[in-house]
Amino acid sequence: MRILLVEDEAKVSRAVALGLKAEHYAVDTAKDGREGLELSVVNPYDLLIVDLMLPVMNGTELIRRVRAIKPDVPILVLTARDALADKVTNFESGADDYMTKPFAFAELLVRVKALLRRGAVNRSNIVQIADLTIDRVTHQVQRAGTTIKLTSKEYGLLEYLAIHAGRVLSRTMIMEHVWDESFESLTNIVDVYVRQLRVKIDEPFDQKLIHTIRGAGYTLSDSFQE
Amino acid sequence: MNTRSIRFRLIGLYAGLLALVMLLFGAYTRMRLDHFLRVVLQTTLEHRAEQIVRDILPEIPKRGEASVGTEIEKRFAPAINDRFVRVTRRGGQVLYLSGAPNDGNFSPEEVPALAGNAAQAFTREQGLPKGSAMLITVLPGSVAAQDYVVEVGTSLAASNAVLRGLLVTLAAGLPVLTGLAIFGGYFLMKRAMKPVRDIIVSTQDITLHNLSHRLPVTDSGDEIAELSKVLNQMIARLDESFQHVTKFTADASHELRTPLTVIHCELEAILRNRPLDVDLREALGSLLDEVVRLVRIVEGLFALSKLDTGEARSERVRFDLAKLAETTAEQMCLLAEEKHIRLACETREPAEVEGDHSRLKQVIVNLLDNAIKYTPEGGGISLTVHAENDSAFLEIADNGPGVSESALPHLFKRFYRADEAHSREVEGAGLGLSIVQSICTAHGGTVSIRNIAPTGCQVTVQLPKAK
Repeated sequence: MRILLVEDEAKVSRAVALGLKAEHYAVDTAKDGREGLELSVVNPYDLLIVDLMLPVMNGTELIRRVRAIKPDVPILVLTARDALADKVTNFESGADDYMTKPFAFAELLVRVKALLRRGAVNRSNIVQIADLTIDRVTHQVQRAGTTIKLTSKEYGLLEYLAIHAGRVLSRTMIMEHVWDESFESLTNIVDVYVRQLRVKIDEPFDQKLIHTIRGAGYTLSDSFQE
Repeated sequence: MNTRSIRFRLIGLYAGLLALVMLLFGAYTRMRLDHFLRVVLQTTLEHRAEQIVRDILPEIPKRGEASVGTEIEKRFAPAINDRFVRVTRRGGQVLYLSGAPNDGNFSPEEVPALAGNAAQAFTREQGLPKGSAMLITVLPGSVAAQDYVVEVGTSLAASNAVLRGLLVTLAAGLPVLTGLAIFGGYFLMKRAMKPVRDIIVSTQDITLHNLSHRLPVTDSGDEIAELSKVLNQMIARLDESFQHVTKFTADASHELRTPLTVIHCELEAILRNRPLDVDLREALGSLLDEVVRLVRIVEGLFALSKLDTGEARSERVRFDLAKLAETTAEQMCLLAEEKHIRLACETREPAEVEGDHSRLKQVIVNLLDNAIKYTPEGGGISLTVHAENDSAFLEIADNGPGVSESALPHLFKRFYRADEAHSREVEGAGLGLSIVQSICTAHGGTVSIRNIAPTGCQVTVQLPKAK
């Protein structure tokens, strides 16, 4: 997998590139918008990571131009601004995900992985993982034939984990999708709900499906090795 | 009416001063008039007495004492002119006494005899047993070794009546004139004070969130216009320095983001990729925790600076605060359950408010989170919403240990922590309540905290109801 990182802050660029290389990604770096555009035209990248405040050509403009040529390449935006207006503008101009500085590298990694496998989201109405069945129409959850009663938040959390089964989801990602921005500062609420969900989904059964990935987040998987 | 207002005090002062001046003027007028009337009367009386002494008494040796009465009657007719004339021989024998006057103001027989010797001319005021007092001029005269005393007098009734009339006129006029002055003054002052009132109202409207507003300046060129101008200059300076502070906070928290990202990512990389001994791993892990804390603080500061610049209310929608409280409490009830805290949400009635839905949700989240943090295991938290008059109230009460009285006034200050020793265990940057307050203020509401009996504290958020 080949990633282009467009970031003008040398140290941030270095830290992110090193981290990604350690995860066995091939990483090219660009220091400004024009260089980023040139590289992205020449090379076939699987993902672009773009800082918004770039010299020569700003990130928003870069995304717009890249999108015109390559409509499918996933783009992750990094920014030091987190105004809602910016968020909207960038999603409109073609960004796929959005991260505010300062971020944890683990969080970045989770999102990178999610974007690279984006096509595989389970969109069917019945989601099946091992002996766990989730009916996305009736919100019915069964495990080994037994119906499990969940509150609406617990269901939302389980469904989000299940449709991204096998992928690591960070607390912040879970927060964004299952809760909303008002809970921003309350990441422990995710832990509390995951704990509760485990009591209902995993505790009565031998095979555990919900796993904690230290420093990264959670995953729902039937083939996870600690 | 505000009895301490300039208008009230000035009118009171003017009215008092006017009444006093009019009283003094009335008293002086009465005194002068009294004096003047007496002088006129006295001059006439003296003149008469002199005529009698000069023209009539010298005739006595020639025509006898009896002629005195006839001559006086002929020349002065005292009864018809309401005058009193008495001629007495030294020793007390009355030679002549005028008849009862036409107006009946006195009877001559009742006028007491002159006491003592009249060595020279003088005028006396003589009270009578009935009727008004009299003014009597006494003039001694001497003919052929015989001393006589001539007394000429008149009733003071007429001049007293004039004085009484003056008094009545003044007494009636004084309250009327004072009343008129107060009435006129009230309207004059109202007109004069209106620009000041306008300035007060406009100034009250200016808060941290609309410092760009200015007071209206009239082109009258008077002191009021001057005052408005000076106030405007002051607001402009305030605006400027406030913008500096806000911009500084925004810039600072913005500038901190990049280095924090580098530190965070590098620390993570070291922890993840290098084999480290336990002590170092421990130390780096602790550093990473502190970086995360720092990130929270920077984010809190950034959020506050955005709220300060008025972004707290970017959206204006109408919604039911009670409903929002219920759903938020439901989303957070597990956090409470973790600590075996009962979270009871009681919403008696819908309470429609207008504002930024997600910001106000953040208010409830922050307050509930605080309550859960500071309530010990097994405690209870109650969340109630009710509407009253023009306000919607959201109350969050817990039965925790409460807050020390000395800390209460500071709880909404940035970075303030009630209990330094305890606070390290509880996460957060000490900005949560400041954010709550900023949001409430931006919505035209208030937030307050107080201890409740028997134990615990209660936070009350008041917001104006949607119109």
